[in-house]
Amino acid sequence: MLLALRLAVRNLIGAGLRTWLNALVLSFSFVVIIWLKGIMVGWDHQAKNDMTDYEIGGGQYWHHLYDPYDPLSLSDSHAPVPSHVKDEIQAGDMEPVLVVPGHIFPRGRMQSVVIKGINPAQTIWKLPTGELDADTDAIPAMIGAVMANGTRLGQGDRVMIRWRDTNGTFDAAQILITAVFSSNVPSAEAGQVYVPLERLRKMAVMHDQATILTFRDGRSQRPEIEGWILKTKAELTRQVDDMIKAKTVGQSIFYGVLLLLAMLAIFDTQVLSIFRRQKEIGTYIALGYTRKEVVGLFTVEGAMHAVLAAFVATLYGLPFLAWQAKAGWTIPMEASEFGMAMAQTLYPVYTVGLVVSTALLVTLATAVVSYVPSRRIARMNPTDALRGKLQ
Amino acid sequence: MIRFLIKGLIRDKSRSRLPVIVVTLGVMLTVAMHAYVKGFMGETLEMNATFSYGHVKVMTRAYAEEAELLPNDLALLEVSTLNEELSERFPAMEWAPRIRFGGLIDVPDEQGETRAQGPAVGLALDLLSEDSNEIQRLGLPRALIRGGLPKERGEALISEAFSQRLLIEPGDDITLIGVSMNGSMVMHNFRVAGTLLFGMDILDRGTLILDIEDARLALDMPDAAGEIVGFLPGGFYDDATARHTADAFNAAYQSDPDEFAPLMKALSQQGSMGPYVQFGQVWAGYISLVFVVAMALVLWNAGLLGGLRRYGEIGVRLAMGEEKGHVYRTMIYESVCIGIAGSVIGTALGLFVAWLLQEYGINVEGLMEGASLMFPTTIRARITPPAYYIGFIPGLAATVIGTALSGIGIFRRQTSQLFKELEA
Amino acid sequence: MSISGSGLLAAVGVLLLGVEACTQPNADVILERVDRNMHSENRIVESRMTIHGRRGSRTMTSRTYSVGDRQSFTEYLSPAREAGTKMLKLEDQLWIYSPPTDRIIQISGHMLRQSVMGSDLSYEDMMEDRRLTDVYTAELRGEDFVDDRETYVLHLKARVTDIAYGSRTIWIDTERYVPLREELYAKSGQLLKRTSFSDVMQIEGRWFPTTILFKDMLKQGDGTEFRMTGIQFDQEIPDHIFTKAALRR
Repeated sequence: MLLALRLAVRNLIGAGLRTWLNALVLSFSFVVIIWLKGIMVGWDHQAKNDMTDYEIGGGQYWHHLYDPYDPLSLSDSHAPVPSHVKDEIQAGDMEPVLVVPGHIFPRGRMQSVVIKGINPAQTIWKLPTGELDADTDAIPAMIGAVMANGTRLGQGDRVMIRWRDTNGTFDAAQILITAVFSSNVPSAEAGQVYVPLERLRKMAVMHDQATILTFRDGRSQRPEIEGWILKTKAELTRQVDDMIKAKTVGQSIFYGVLLLLAMLAIFDTQVLSIFRRQKEIGTYIALGYTRKEVVGLFTVEGAMHAVLAAFVATLYGLPFLAWQAKAGWTIPMEASEFGMAMAQTLYPVYTVGLVVSTALLVTLATAVVSYVPSRRIARMNPTDALRGKLQ
Repeated sequence: MIRFLIKGLIRDKSRSRLPVIVVTLGVMLTVAMHAYVKGFMGETLEMNATFSYGHVKVMTRAYAEEAELLPNDLALLEVSTLNEELSERFPAMEWAPRIRFGGLIDVPDEQGETRAQGPAVGLALDLLSEDSNEIQRLGLPRALIRGGLPKERGEALISEAFSQRLLIEPGDDITLIGVSMNGSMVMHNFRVAGTLLFGMDILDRGTLILDIEDARLALDMPDAAGEIVGFLPGGFYDDATARHTADAFNAAYQSDPDEFAPLMKALSQQGSMGPYVQFGQVWAGYISLVFVVAMALVLWNAGLLGGLRRYGEIGVRLAMGEEKGHVYRTMIYESVCIGIAGSVIGTALGLFVAWLLQEYGINVEGLMEGASLMFPTTIRARITPPAYYIGFIPGLAATVIGTALSGIGIFRRQTSQLFKELEA
Repeated sequence: MSISGSGLLAAVGVLLLGVEACTQPNADVILERVDRNMHSENRIVESRMTIHGRRGSRTMTSRTYSVGDRQSFTEYLSPAREAGTKMLKLEDQLWIYSPPTDRIIQISGHMLRQSVMGSDLSYEDMMEDRRLTDVYTAELRGEDFVDDRETYVLHLKARVTDIAYGSRTIWIDTERYVPLREELYAKSGQLLKRTSFSDVMQIEGRWFPTTILFKDMLKQGDGTEFRMTGIQFDQEIPDHIFTKAALRR
């Protein structure tokens, strides 16, 4: 067997450019498949991370009446923070958010908004809530880029906001936009105004109340809380899974065809080498090799392309993939676009499973394609083969 | 000379058959793949186009300012005239007036008293006209869970989850409480024809789909529509064409100061669709590039192999006194012929495959189990102009380069060795 | 804009009828005089309402029967599309009947909180029927001129919490004891809405403003104009009008 391998390598290297072209094509498939899949995994991570960082944390408890798609539900969906999570809140590992419906009046047009009270000192999200700690006569507020675009409001702008307190009494005041953030999470931005939690509680006379409780740690099992509905991270990110799944399914066809192309090259090479090396085959058999062994020899030789490809792929692919993972793949588009629903730079993530499965797939496919033309050897007449006669 | 070479190629099958087959296969894959990637990358966009943005959308200027708020008080008037104008100016495109609205669904009990109520997001489309394509466009037959599609005026579709929440069966009557174009509260009765499941939370919560004429009656919007969505011929989004169409349309209204003059926006100019469009274009470009490069390598290799196959023949030709340069040139000419033949046949086949994929698509339903229905379970290819020439890059160039490189070996062969080789 | 018609009436009713003993004698005396001038057991009002929208104005007419401030019944007469629409308010409940649907729908809960779409009033505005002096503390702030008429300026501050407007200011004609202007404020003091009363006429011995302009001060636009074209006080109104059955008739 060792001899077979050594022979295979010798034969391959001896074939020069042809072998390297094959190896290059195969390695190309390797690198491209790993990169594309890496981008998909990276996109998945990124989308979920963005949601984690800007909206859902490690998961949430929703007030049982809270329904983000039903604006009418918002005025009732608040309750005092359950006492047994107070320690967690104190420790900063859970953040209550109070949601109150309201209206803003940019340029005299009324627009419904959701006012979210958020702790300016929170550390669960990457939201620039520190900016809410501003010293101003107006209510300091923060909006997302999507909202800023839609309303044409920007940092430093003032706008009238109207809401109703828990008794239904109208109240209205100026808000001052102290920060505009860009999160790539449209649902954290569209139609929402963030103000300091305690301020909103006072504004709405909803002392110590909350609508959403977001916790930091999504791994541990969470207890049910009466009057609140547990929404795990998996539940909240289901739509991302669906999107990635749809993309992955579509791309796998592309991987298949890319492999097919590489296989076309290997097949072509194998057919030719068996055709040209009939004398060699006859000699092997004359020397006492069984036909199976010779088939094996040629199959191994063909499959060695995959090994060489892995080697070539490592040479240029490893630095490329590593650089991509670090620098990310930036979608070349105008940087001035605000409020994007996806990150401009995607960082591919490669898992061991991804690399190993791709390597196995490529090797296996190569072996199969090498084996198929080699079967002809088994049907060869050794004496004719020795004489170089065509079959 | 060329004719001589071609004759040779045609008569000597071993010289032409395999190389042409390889080039053909490679080119076919490249062309089909290009179309596939184009179609596949466009799916998300098409979904958005279908449900909300259109490839282009015509609104009043004032409506466009706050389109996300569905301000029907700022809707387009005299839509049939405008529709005619659109059809006349852009006859290849499909135009569909739509009204998007919010409202409450009120379900009566036997006494006619309110039994249940829920907020609805309404979409009014042309469901009943013979020439309307909207039902198919939105994939309503596939999303239908119970009941049937509306057959006559006064019938509506609602989302399945919504119907369960309100305990509505197909055939039940519901009342839409909405706001008319000029702000009045309006009520209108509908019969539920069927229920729909889209698989997207936002649509499954409380979608109500009406025929546009019903909506016009209910919302007091005679011959009005919030928006007219337009779809490019072939049903695929092309950013340049869409933008060009929008610019051409808007130019005609440039001097009109009316805030209710119509304004056309391309998909990429609406909401946050711009980045998606760009992402799709870039991604499709990258994938096509990868493919062309891989294909070029493969065909280059095929060129090398072709040279090797004819090692003996060339030996004989050299032995007979043919000049090395001449042999080399004829090899190149032959490869050009093979490249052209393979590219032409491959492009034709590839386009055929792409056309099949475009018309019928690949059904990936099995692979998509558990995912949202909104995501297409059929992936379709999309033939764009580059598909007609992209195959020639690897098909012709790579074949010729491969031959040219392998042919260099001709110049290295020693005449003294030729007969020894031939003896073997 | 079928609802705000009676909404306007209800709001007027609130204003005109809210009189009771209070800590501020001066202000209370004024409010009592207003009440005496404008109060009636019942009345029938025909009115024309014009809503000034961004795309032009629309006008509709209606007839309203009311008894005290707790019961009212409104029927729309024109335009054709609105004709036949009826609205019944009994205590704190509100029903609407629309002829094309033949349904009586109660407007309650959240729907009350919504602004009556497009108009400058909310359902709640029309439902508020408590006397001003029950829920506000009135104070005379001084005198002012409105449209060349001398007025008392009364400031009303909420005494209860479950109320839409934290405070109001009312300008009352010193001679005729009719309100000429009212402003509604948010808790913060931000001006939310302004109501202007004009075309004060003497009807059956009472001074009565026959044109009212409502304006949401946060929004663009010219507001909603309410013009009474016919008022009859102390008429016989049969009881069956204030029943749900009357809506379908």
